[in-house]
Formats: sequence, C-alpha cells, structure tokens
Amino acid sequence: MREYLTPKEGFRVLFFIGKGGVGKTTGSAAVSVTLSKKGYKTLIVSIDPAHNLGDVFEVKLNDKPKQIAENLYAMELDMEKLIKAYLKHLEENLKHMYRYLTVINLEKYFEVLRFSPGIEEYATLEAIREILQRGEEWDIIIFDTPPTGLTLRVLALPEIALIWTKKLIEIRKKILEKRRAIENIQGERKFVIEGEEYKLPSREEEDPVMKELKRYKAEIAFVRGVITNSKKTSVIAVMNPEMLALYETERAYEALRKFKIPFNLVVVNKVIELEEEVPRIRVKIEAQRKVLEEIGEKFKGVELVTVPMFEEEPRGLEWLEKVGGLIVGD
Amino acid sequence: MFENLKAFFRGFFSAFKARSTEYLEFEERELENVFALVLMGSFVGIPSPPTTLVMRLMPHMVREIYVMQRRAGEMDDIFGEIAAMFEIT
Repeated sequence: MREYLTPKEGFRVLFFIGKGGVGKTTGSAAVSVTLSKKGYKTLIVSIDPAHNLGDVFEVKLNDKPKQIAENLYAMELDMEKLIKAYLKHLEENLKHMYRYLTVINLEKYFEVLRFSPGIEEYATLEAIREILQRGEEWDIIIFDTPPTGLTLRVLALPEIALIWTKKLIEIRKKILEKRRAIENIQGERKFVIEGEEYKLPSREEEDPVMKELKRYKAEIAFVRGVITNSKKTSVIAVMNPEMLALYETERAYEALRKFKIPFNLVVVNKVIELEEEVPRIRVKIEAQRKVLEEIGEKFKGVELVTVPMFEEEPRGLEWLEKVGGLIVGD
Repeated sequence: MFENLKAFFRGFFSAFKARSTEYLEFEERELENVFALVLMGSFVGIPSPPTTLVMRLMPHMVREIYVMQRRAGEMDDIFGEIAAMFEIT
C-alpha cells in the first residue's frame, strides 16, 4: 500500500488533479472506496462546479457529508450557494456599519464586488479551509477538483494571499504609527461623520482592520501549512496516455513544485491493453507506448500507475473498489 | 488679568500643537487613501488583494473610504494643499 495515501500526522489530504474528462472523479471515488474498506474514515469532496461525483456513486449528494458506505462519506460543494451566503452575511454586516455613510453610495461598490474576478477561486479556497479546519473528524479527506487550470490557481492562492496580506499589514502599521504620533501631541482623536463620532483606533490591538488582517493571515497560513506538508498532503495527477494530457500534467508538476506542494503519483487512466494486435488501431497503440515511455523519464521521483481501459464504465461500488485497489496498490 | 493670560497661552499652545501635527496628518491621510485605494483596486483596473479579504475589511473601513472619497474630490487641487502647508501664497 502506498504510504503517501494514508494518514501519517493526523489526517491525510489527497487532491486529484488533471485535464477534463480523464477520470479524476472516477479515480478519486475509487480510491475513497478502497481506503474506506481498509477502515479509514474517509470523506470525499467534489469542488468541481460541474459536479459528477454523485453520478459515479449513483446517489444524489449535497453540501453536507452523506454516508455512502461504512466509513465512507461524500459531499458536493455548492459554489453558487456558498458565494451567495457569503455576500449576504457581508451585506448585513455592512448595513450595520455604514448606516450613516449612505452619502457615499456604497451599495454600488458591492454590486460590482459580487462579479469581482477570482471570487470563485477564493470561495473554493475558503471552502477547502473550512473542511481542513475540521479535518480531525476524518482520517482521509479526498478532493475531486475541477480541471487543472482552475485547481492550480486555487492551490497557488494561499501563497499569493499571504504576500498581499503581509503588504497590507505593513501599510496598516505605518498608518497606526502616524496616528499614535499625532495622538501623543493632541490626545485622543475623534472621527466625526454624519453626526456620529467614534474614536480613531491607533493601537494594533484595538484596530479592527489590523485584527481582521491578522486573523486572515493566520487562516491562510494554516491552509498553506497543510497543503505544503508532505506528511499531510499528496497530489495525484490523473491523465490519459495522450500527448496533450502529458504536457498538461508536466505543467502542473512544475507549478506545484514552485508552490512546494507535494506531488506523488501519476495515474495513467484508460490505457488500452490488447491480447492480440488489431491493425486498425495500431497507430494509437504505438502513440500510447511512446507516451508511457516519456512519462517514466519526465517525472522523476513520482510513482506511476496504469489503469487499463475497461470494457464497461467503472461505476458502482464494486467496480470502484477494483480500480481503487490498482491505485492504492495492494 | 491672570485668567486672560492663561487663556492666551492655551490658545497659543493649541495652535502650536495643530501646526506641529499638520504634516503628520497629511501623511496619515495619504496612507489611508492608499490603503483604501489598494483595496478598491479592482474598480480602477489594478490588481486587487484577495476578494474575501477585501470583503472582510470593508465593514471597518468607514474612515479610510471617507478620506479616499474626499481625496478624489480634491484631486485637482493637490498642489494647493501642499502649497498651503508650506505657506506659499
């Protein structure tokens, strides 16, 4: 059994990445079935906006973990709902804070924020964080992700968010420094707007903006800590024996290495294995052989598993366990 | 007579205090303006920080947004403000 798929320090997080349609969902579902059969309490989460995890298990899933079999739970994140709930919470918060600031017409600003670029990625990251923070409830958490591009962006976010937060904290520190300097001479200062007045915060412990910045930084640092820890996280790339899929996996491999996210296994799915030669698909078989050869050279230190193309689509628990056995390695 | 003198000195010192922090307050406003602008970057087409972070900070940004709005309004007279500070008339 491959040790980077099982818990070592607390819980284990597995990300399945790959091009669209290569079999990420089937692969991740298969692994989840196999690991749960071995007695690990497993949660599989689909963060792909185009969900089809439920189709593989042949059950209807929602955004709460649902028990599929013993030790096996599955859920599908509802991004739309997540973003809506998030904005609603924010709006209420704002109405309370800005009730005397209607002059500025802030509603318009927030109308635009709703369509702000990247909001889906951030919502996804936020959802991953929430699941990871309650990670101790599970032995293994498996993420079935959207196609490579989006996933890489999400996995890169913690790093980028941390840089932003650090910069903002720097500016904020300067502002508070200035405020303290002025306060030393003039005494406590009040900020008056629309007849309401409140004290201008000048110390880090009392400034709500600074507090929020620090809280956010801690949350993001936690996610980054988990996904860059090779004792906790493994990324499994799924691909088909085709050149395009190989190129994409290569790029993902480079990107993940840059962000120090452990990449351990390549699953080559839908490999055609024939007992006798069929002349009509000889060219295809030849191309497939070439790709398999190249994979071996390209990914040093990464294990390789091939899953053959089956006569029927692997759906339902029995089939999944069979495929999962191949990937987990018995 | 003594009371008058006291009032005079109080007035004298508060004016002195106000003058002494003038530059600091200008700097403070500039920084607050920049802070708000960075968070609002997506409106003017510059890269902006994580949207979730921006949204979480917004409720606490009353003062900074107010400063930013005023700053934008006085944009055409920024030299006027600096000139006034250095008493160039």
